[in-house]
Amino acid sequence: MSGVAHERTVLEADSLSLRFGAIHALRSVSLRVDEGQIHAVIGPNGAGKSSLLNCLSGFYRPQAGSVRFCSKDISGLKPHRRAALGIGRTFQGIQTYSSMTARENILSGFHARMRTGFIGGLCYWGAVRHEEETFTAKAEAIIGFLELEEMRHAVVGDMPYGIRKRVDLGRALALEPKVLIMDEPMAGMSTEEKGDLARFILDIREGLKIPVVLVEHDMEVVMAISDRVTVVDFGEVIASGTPAEVSDNPRVIAAYLGGAKS
Amino acid sequence: MLPTGVQSLKYTQESAVLRTTRSRAWLVVLACALVGYPAVAGPYMLGVFSHMFITLMAVYGLYVTVGMAGQINVAQSAFVGVGAFAAAKLSGYGLPFFIVIPLAALMAGLTSILFALPAARVKGFYLALTTLAAQVVFPIIILALPMEWLGGLVGMPVEPIRFGTLTLGAPIHFYYFTLALAALLTVAAFNLGRSRFGRAMLAVRDNDVVAEVMGVPVFRIKVMSFFVGSLFAGVAGACTAYFLQFVTVSSFTLFASVWYLGMLIVGGAHSPLGAILGVVFITLLQETLHDVANTLMQSGASGGLLFALTSIVLGGCILIALIFEPRGLAHRWAVLRTTFQLWPFPRN
Ligand SMILES: Nc1ncnc2c1ncn2[C@@H]1O[C@H](COP(=O)(O)OP(=O)(O)OP(=O)(O)O)[C@@H](O)[C@H]1O
Ligand SMILES: [Mg+2]
Repeated sequence: MSGVAHERTVLEADSLSLRFGAIHALRSVSLRVDEGQIHAVIGPNGAGKSSLLNCLSGFYRPQAGSVRFCSKDISGLKPHRRAALGIGRTFQGIQTYSSMTARENILSGFHARMRTGFIGGLCYWGAVRHEEETFTAKAEAIIGFLELEEMRHAVVGDMPYGIRKRVDLGRALALEPKVLIMDEPMAGMSTEEKGDLARFILDIREGLKIPVVLVEHDMEVVMAISDRVTVVDFGEVIASGTPAEVSDNPRVIAAYLGGAKS
Repeated sequence: MLPTGVQSLKYTQESAVLRTTRSRAWLVVLACALVGYPAVAGPYMLGVFSHMFITLMAVYGLYVTVGMAGQINVAQSAFVGVGAFAAAKLSGYGLPFFIVIPLAALMAGLTSILFALPAARVKGFYLALTTLAAQVVFPIIILALPMEWLGGLVGMPVEPIRFGTLTLGAPIHFYYFTLALAALLTVAAFNLGRSRFGRAMLAVRDNDVVAEVMGVPVFRIKVMSFFVGSLFAGVAGACTAYFLQFVTVSSFTLFASVWYLGMLIVGGAHSPLGAILGVVFITLLQETLHDVANTLMQSGASGGLLFALTSIVLGGCILIALIFEPRGLAHRWAVLRTTFQLWPFPRN
């Protein structure tokens, strides 16, 4: 029992080290996400934040360290297996399926939850139709939650940036995740769009009870909505704690001022 | 674009292929025309149409692998060939067609997996080369096998299809047989687009890195896209075998594979309608050019020159189609339809 007995740890990274040739993207980075938390990961550009998230979702394989999810070691699992277990993820930049409609994007997120195989797909018999019906209703619930009703049949490639980011989030929610990992969801958004998204993230934690790992550059947002903040610089964790603790930490202030100088 | 007043009580109705009464009525008209066509057509044209239906089956397969999953496949004709030889061999054992055709499809599908396993690990140019290997290896293997197995260079005769006492031999029989199968595969191809497997393939095509993180087993889906695409090829192959009543390796060339791809691209790779339009457009174009060439030949033009000219004209027409509608005829069709429905208001 380590201090926080009442909180259950959902996702835990233990001493992750990741190298790309000579670049040390991560040096012995640890991170713990507890139930009900919004856990922000911040740091200057190139600090290794995305690399850390990619190790969590299995897209990068760290050379050392392990990842545990709901007290199970998932270090050896492929990304799609981790997704099926309940690790949802949104991406930096635009990474939606651009030829599909908003609803299809979200439906595709249910892949790991649905059962129909290729034969069912070819024949489309009653059971297949029924499954489509069930999951379309679930997709519609997500569409309602994210206020995408007007756009449900629009092709995502034609949508403005802010809406696409929302579709990206909807697709991640379709995984019915136990933890949601978001990489710079607000980059490039207007203040109003940021406000909307912050509201959705808070709703996800309060309403859907999904803890969130959030990489974000906008300090105002981070300080306002997160419960814990981990600061990464040059692939190392330099501070971790509540927003107030972290913002007073001299190493953090130095890293940010140093980052601004160069 | 739907006209007003079309409502759905269930979500699945929204993904139905034919949503309006008018589109259903048009389908009935088309079906009647196709069923009635033999009443006015001669045996030659019935043969052309049967061949067109078979080609369509193979191109549907490419629609799955190339159009949906985004995996280049320049060996479709080899997979058609596997289906054809499987059908020839199996029909020789006296098996009925309704067993032979599914088995031939399965053979083609399994063969494609053999090549898809390495192919699905590479992308783009390398993928094209890997599938090219399948196309090149196909005749080499058939020729290397003992003559008694698959007929070697000579080829193999095929037992005709028997329905009770009726033996399918006349062009009109094949017309209806291939029409029925093509109709069946059309339904299957359209179904795929609104299913879990179809969406997974689209996800892989649009962004395979993200798809994997979103729970789609990308490698498996890529291999499956070859498998399912080759099931279609196998059915086309079995039909070819029954249709020609003889199979030889020389019918299943790289040239044919490239034509299949060409048809899909001209028609539009992103919908089964594209496959239909591409196959119909190019088949009719080829036939028209043949007719013109024949007429000219009778009035004394040189055969060699005409052959070269028809190829040039055919290639030119395809180029023009691609220049004016790079997204394929199916896209042009969708645009025209919306314009027509909205008239006199401008589109957008
Ligand atoms: N696939 C890769 N191959 C080589 N180097 C990489 C790769 N991914 C990341 N890196 C390197 O690892 C370091 C950390 O990159 P990462 O993308 O994790 O930073 P980040 O904190 O997300 O930055 P940003 O705020 O700009 O998104 C950088 O030096 C980057 O160049
Ligand atoms: Mg990043």
